[in-house]
Amino acid sequence: MDNTEVLKPLKTWSHLSARRRKPSEYEVVSTNLHIRANGEPFELDPNVFLSQWYKKNCDASPLKHPDWNSFRDPDGLIYRTYNMMQDGGETYVRGLFDQFNEREHDKGLSPYWAGTLARLYTPSRYLFHTLQMCSAYLAQMAPASTISLCASFQGADSFRWLSHTAYRTKELSLAIEGKGFGVDERHYWENDIAWQGFRELMERTLTAYDWAECFVALNLVAKPAIEETVLRKLGEAASHNGDTLFGLVADAELADGVRHRRWASALVKLALDVPDNANVIKEWIAKWQPLADHAIDAFCTALPDVPDAAEKAKRSTLSFQHSLFDQ
Amino acid sequence: MAMLERMDWYDLARTTNWTPKYVQEDELFPPELSGSMGITLEKWESYDEPFKQSYPEYVNIQRQKDAGAYSVKAALERSKLYENADPGWISVLASHYGAIARQEYHASLSEARMARFGKAPGQRNMATLGMMDEIRHGQIQLFFAHEHVSKNRQFDWAHKAMDTNEWAAIAARHMFDDIFACRSATEIALMLTFAFETGFTNMQFLGLAADAAQAGDWTFSSLISSIQTDEARHAQIGGPMIPILIANGKKAEAQKFIDIALWRSWKLFSVLTGPIMDYYTPLKDRKQSFKEFMHEWIVKQFERSLIEVGLERPWYWDQLLDEIDWQHHGMHIGTWFWRSTIWWNSAAGVTPEERAWLEEKYPGWNETFGTVWDVITENVVEGRMEQTYPETLPVICNMCQLPINATPGPAWRARDVPLIHNNRRYHFCSEVCKWVFEQEPSRYEGHQTLVDRFLAGQVQPMDLGGALKYMGLAPGEIGDDAHQYAWADAARAERIKKAG
Repeated sequence: MDNTEVLKPLKTWSHLSARRRKPSEYEVVSTNLHIRANGEPFELDPNVFLSQWYKKNCDASPLKHPDWNSFRDPDGLIYRTYNMMQDGGETYVRGLFDQFNEREHDKGLSPYWAGTLARLYTPSRYLFHTLQMCSAYLAQMAPASTISLCASFQGADSFRWLSHTAYRTKELSLAIEGKGFGVDERHYWENDIAWQGFRELMERTLTAYDWAECFVALNLVAKPAIEETVLRKLGEAASHNGDTLFGLVADAELADGVRHRRWASALVKLALDVPDNANVIKEWIAKWQPLADHAIDAFCTALPDVPDAAEKAKRSTLSFQHSLFDQ
Repeated sequence: MAMLERMDWYDLARTTNWTPKYVQEDELFPPELSGSMGITLEKWESYDEPFKQSYPEYVNIQRQKDAGAYSVKAALERSKLYENADPGWISVLASHYGAIARQEYHASLSEARMARFGKAPGQRNMATLGMMDEIRHGQIQLFFAHEHVSKNRQFDWAHKAMDTNEWAAIAARHMFDDIFACRSATEIALMLTFAFETGFTNMQFLGLAADAAQAGDWTFSSLISSIQTDEARHAQIGGPMIPILIANGKKAEAQKFIDIALWRSWKLFSVLTGPIMDYYTPLKDRKQSFKEFMHEWIVKQFERSLIEVGLERPWYWDQLLDEIDWQHHGMHIGTWFWRSTIWWNSAAGVTPEERAWLEEKYPGWNETFGTVWDVITENVVEGRMEQTYPETLPVICNMCQLPINATPGPAWRARDVPLIHNNRRYHFCSEVCKWVFEQEPSRYEGHQTLVDRFLAGQVQPMDLGGALKYMGLAPGEIGDDAHQYAWADAARAERIKKAG
């Protein structure tokens, strides 16, 4: 062999060793993990269906960047720290469930508010499940493992929200009779006018198969709209109706949502390295926002005791979107 | 007690199917991604996962598992385990991490495909946890391997292998892409979780954990047995699919996908796991032979789980039983002979004591594979090292991407099973690999093996140096004999004694 240089052991992976500084545990276990040998999605016939799916919906996305692998989660979450954080979070939420159950919180709710919960809260497990599914799509399609990991953790968090809702649904069904808790959720989700906006928004977002359009529709439009409405505004209504527990649980979920916005903002910031991307993102927001606005309106119309709920929710969503371009 | 039990609310958390209105069912669940085989949403709702776990249980238990595995590593970091380990054991670690760590992460994307495109709500939830599990397995194995990068350049391959055209990496990608990464949600459930994880990962992780414990590598032992506890949960995603498929007239399809995955797993394990269990692991630390592990985990237990779900043994069962006796011995000779084309050091494992063990576990070994090692040993003893390296390329199977080989000796059975398809001649190691190809030729036909690429002039210059460059292997990381040929010392001493 003419190659006489004998490679020496390095301090870290060769792909990280060009830099001078010691990589963090996050970088060691999270960077450049997607397998794309020779530029092909799979080591099979290059024209197999899924290979074409990836080439179209990932590689040929209108959102371009020369180095998506340079994306870093601002929280630097890895699997190990995710579980530490969320085990703590669940200990807190389950503590709330325990204490409020102990003092028979649900029995003190008015029949009117119980009816609102049956209509506007417990069906949200369907909505949260669409977030879980859609985040899982983003995870499998994103062009860098550091993006996929954020999307995966977001999917797990959505399953967390769904689990809280399912738990509370059962509890409410035990405490309150005649409101259809645990029985009527699918009916409300599929038929009640309050839900049809979010249902349409999410059915369509779930079929936005370009990875970057999925990211924009899910993380920049749908999730902010859902968080501002189904968690925050419904939480405000709850506090006016003697339902302290709802707001505390929603706050715990919103903390996840704030984290999701941090990584989404960081990804937009990276994307804006390429000047054309600003327009790509803005056009997608413009395409999806009307569906989200319609969903916010439909839900907030049914929401009691929160004046201007829809306007405020839309304003918060908009201000998050504006912040993305002012970084 | 003011808390609900898990099962009080678990069913609600997996009652999440709804009827799409604004898009069609086939848009929401494209058949190629969901693998629904025309079975509609409501028919999947009877899906009932046997291993049930809720989100709060998951994050709690997983936090504790990680605390255990990471603390064993931390406690033993100064124990000089690596420095004192037998070189054969280091080779076990280097080959395992390179072939497995990134592929585990890769599997998280397939779990995500099930979480998105599975039509059974229980499957989507379990796959959400499975997606998290596979992130764990990718990350923790990268972290544990990373500890060794400053001592041995070959450990860079724990991260790098899957980005290269090294031949074992190609074989691993081809197989893993075929059984999960490039499959639909239903196929992933059958092929990755049911066929691969209930069978082969048990063997890799529990078998190797036993060997690691014997070898005193508590870090690795606790790591991979901890991983296996996750597999035990998410491996059960596939089983409950099968009654639904059978009830909807898709038994033959279910059987076919499982048969493909089991065979493909077998071939890869014959080159990666067989040699490390029967040759690399120090003799004193071997708990069982590869064949014994195969019989325990695959032949007995997997066969039972197949029958339990209403399926049959794969049609090639007799051939599998036959190959378990010999295939990995040939693969081992191949990886040792072509040792400069791998990212770990091959441990020959043929001292007189080791040969006696091989003969005991595989009666007839001395008369067959032993004769090849006799020649190699003589060349080593005589210092004819150039004859211990290859000058030609092997014929590679167009399915498993591995050299076609068989048992040497009087009953030499090497065969190439050819197939002409669309004017191209394909080579297969066996009728089964050819059968896999024929199930869906368009999946495989445009792929080129490493040797196809060499012959097509994609590897330049067309010599060993060019091949190593193409495979991403450079001096300092290319494989060598793990024990610097010390295994030939006994034969050398014998020779000197005779001469003297």
